Amino acid sequence: MRFKRMTAIAAVAVVAFGTASCAKKDEPAAPTSKFAAGTTMDRIAKAGKFNVGTKWDQPLFGLKGLAKAPEGFDVEIVKIIAAELGIKDDKVHYEETVSKVREDFISSGRVDMIVATYTINDARKEKISFAGPYYEAGQDILVAKDDTTITGPEIFKTDATKKVCSVTGSTPAKKIAEYATAPGQVVLFDVYTKCLDALKNKQVAAVTTDNVILMGYVSKEPDKFKVLGKPFTKEPYGIGVKKDDKVFRDWINDIIEKAFADGRYKAAWDKTVGAIAPMPKEIKVNRY
Amino acid sequence: MPEPLIELNAVNKWFGSLHVLRDVNLTVDRGEVVVVIGPSGSGKSTLCRAINRLETINSGTIIFDGKPLPEEGKQLARLRSEVGMVFQSFNLFSHLTILENVTLGPIKVRRESKAVAKERAMKLLDRVGIGNQADKHPGQLSGGQQQRAAIARALAMQPKAMLFDEPTSALDPEMVGEVLDVMTSLAVEGMTMIVVTHEMGFARHAAKRVVFMADGELVEQAPPAEFFDNPRSERARDFLSKVLQH
Amino acid sequence: MSILIDNFDLFANGLLGTIRLCLLAAVGSLLLGGLIAAFRVSPLPPLRALGTGYVTVFRNMPLTVVMFLSAFGLPPLGVNEASFLNVPGLNFLIPQLGNNAFFRFALIAIVLYTSAFVCEALRAGINAVPTGQAEAARSLGLTFTQNLRNVVLPQAWKFAVVPIGSVIIAMIKNSAIAGSFGVAGDLMYTSDVLVSQEGLPLLPVFLGLSGGYLLLTIPLGLFLDAVERRRAATIR
Repeated sequence: MRFKRMTAIAAVAVVAFGTASCAKKDEPAAPTSKFAAGTTMDRIAKAGKFNVGTKWDQPLFGLKGLAKAPEGFDVEIVKIIAAELGIKDDKVHYEETVSKVREDFISSGRVDMIVATYTINDARKEKISFAGPYYEAGQDILVAKDDTTITGPEIFKTDATKKVCSVTGSTPAKKIAEYATAPGQVVLFDVYTKCLDALKNKQVAAVTTDNVILMGYVSKEPDKFKVLGKPFTKEPYGIGVKKDDKVFRDWINDIIEKAFADGRYKAAWDKTVGAIAPMPKEIKVNRY
Repeated sequence: MPEPLIELNAVNKWFGSLHVLRDVNLTVDRGEVVVVIGPSGSGKSTLCRAINRLETINSGTIIFDGKPLPEEGKQLARLRSEVGMVFQSFNLFSHLTILENVTLGPIKVRRESKAVAKERAMKLLDRVGIGNQADKHPGQLSGGQQQRAAIARALAMQPKAMLFDEPTSALDPEMVGEVLDVMTSLAVEGMTMIVVTHEMGFARHAAKRVVFMADGELVEQAPPAEFFDNPRSERARDFLSKVLQH
Repeated sequence: MSILIDNFDLFANGLLGTIRLCLLAAVGSLLLGGLIAAFRVSPLPPLRALGTGYVTVFRNMPLTVVMFLSAFGLPPLGVNEASFLNVPGLNFLIPQLGNNAFFRFALIAIVLYTSAFVCEALRAGINAVPTGQAEAARSLGLTFTQNLRNVVLPQAWKFAVVPIGSVIIAMIKNSAIAGSFGVAGDLMYTSDVLVSQEGLPLLPVFLGLSGGYLLLTIPLGLFLDAVERRRAATIR
């Protein structure tokens, strides 16, 4: 008896399912692609899934809360590119790419591209290629809000008691070492949050890295910290793609220029970094 | 006029609910040799260990040389240095040579110079017949030799009294004699001794007084001849009939 | 492989940094661990409670947390620079001790953490010494400290040396965390710089890094095996 009833239910279900699929017949079965066959854009568009690396711990650019997609300017740039590929926001798969693993993640194909406050430099260009820059950051200095003694990196040359903190293996760490005179004057941790703890404790006098990262911390605790606002390096942020994938790189460069011209870039900026810093007046992508 | 060196008054001790010492009263005079006998579990070892406070008591008083036993600390350490103790299982320090075993106390506790301590230690070792074993480690000696070394170790502190807690129970039969000989000569020299033992022969010829314990109680005490020939209590008669049959 | 050869001096420096940190940490952990173990077997209940509390706290806390509390928790409590560790003479041999407060904080953290394990290994050794040994020492009139120093610890050491060695091996590996807490110049830090600053590939660098730690831990392990064999031969 029971068996009979279950078959009946199953039969009804089959009919209902059949009707539903009939109604959808005019929609495409798989995502199609407007791109030339064999290009990276074509592959991603057809797969319908876009693997992207961002930072998850950098306010304003790439910051991820619990059980949410990351947020920030880098993420907005990702969304602009994803839209051009025909990928919906929820089909973008974000991976956390900490500084150490970025090149390896691209080379191994684990991610299709990386937008992660990623400074373009020659050493990195030997292993991957960069589109952009989509923003030019610069190394700056963050100090306690009431500190007036530190005016620029030169202070570390003249006053060896002033300690400055950065992250092990980072470009800013290498740069600030040029200004340091005493051993132990540059204090290095694995993450910037420890630098901030050390600054709050007055164990260090300053924290240095790219200005936008510092601004992110100021945005969280504006009554404790300030940024000097005098960048002393040029850090062009690029979008990392597989080495020698010139087609993909050029295509991304086109989009960056287009987005800057048509206001999408401004919208992305205003939504994220806008409250802290003015938008760049111009951007010059580097086509190589 | 005999003067008391060790006095136990109404001493009680429990191990949990087990009443191991029941109102024990015992006085040992200077130069006296007291042998404590009784069945296993009668509390005689506990009594012996209570006198230098290796076991604490729950009530009553123990007086040594006119002073009550001090609490844990420096005072107690000083008291213990005046009471020699010989254990059933020797307890020689296994990482030290025989000579070092004997000199450790005098050097660390009495602050004697190494030379002085060593000289007396060698005399004592010669006296107990193992002077030629001085540089060996305890593990290299027979049980009888180890126990004689342990007696020398206790004597090196020049104690006012010696406690023997079943000193021959862990020995092979052929070695019992050599240890008892040393103890007998000590007794003859006038050392104050409390000896817990099953050696009835030693009790008979070396003791000035025999104390019989059963179930934590001090049942009777008497000179050895009187105790062995005419035990007054039923429990002592019963015990003696068992141990003397063989 | 060529990466390891090209950067040999950097790796060697990193190894030296790790050795310096671990040498100090090992000495500190053995001393503090010995003291805590003495507390735990002491006849005084307050000391015993202190020892037990110490072990409970530091054995059950992740090392990263201890590191964090040391580097950022001590300064607000008044231990601003931990400069009491800036020992003249020693800071000549180990420059970081003098010029890097975070080296000192990391050292404190590793010592606090490791000594809890040293204490327990030592206590297990003390418990393995027959009680009669301590009783004999007490009945000779040795005080608690004399007893521990002259009778119990020399024997406990034999039982404890191999477990303590394992604790030290674990400590050497744990010291890698120090690189994340402002200790510049150890193996982990060097590898970090090679990968993210110099852009060298991750895998070979981390192979070199592991090799560096093995260079420290394997000889120690072999030494402990030898100690154990010798002990087995003497104890019989």
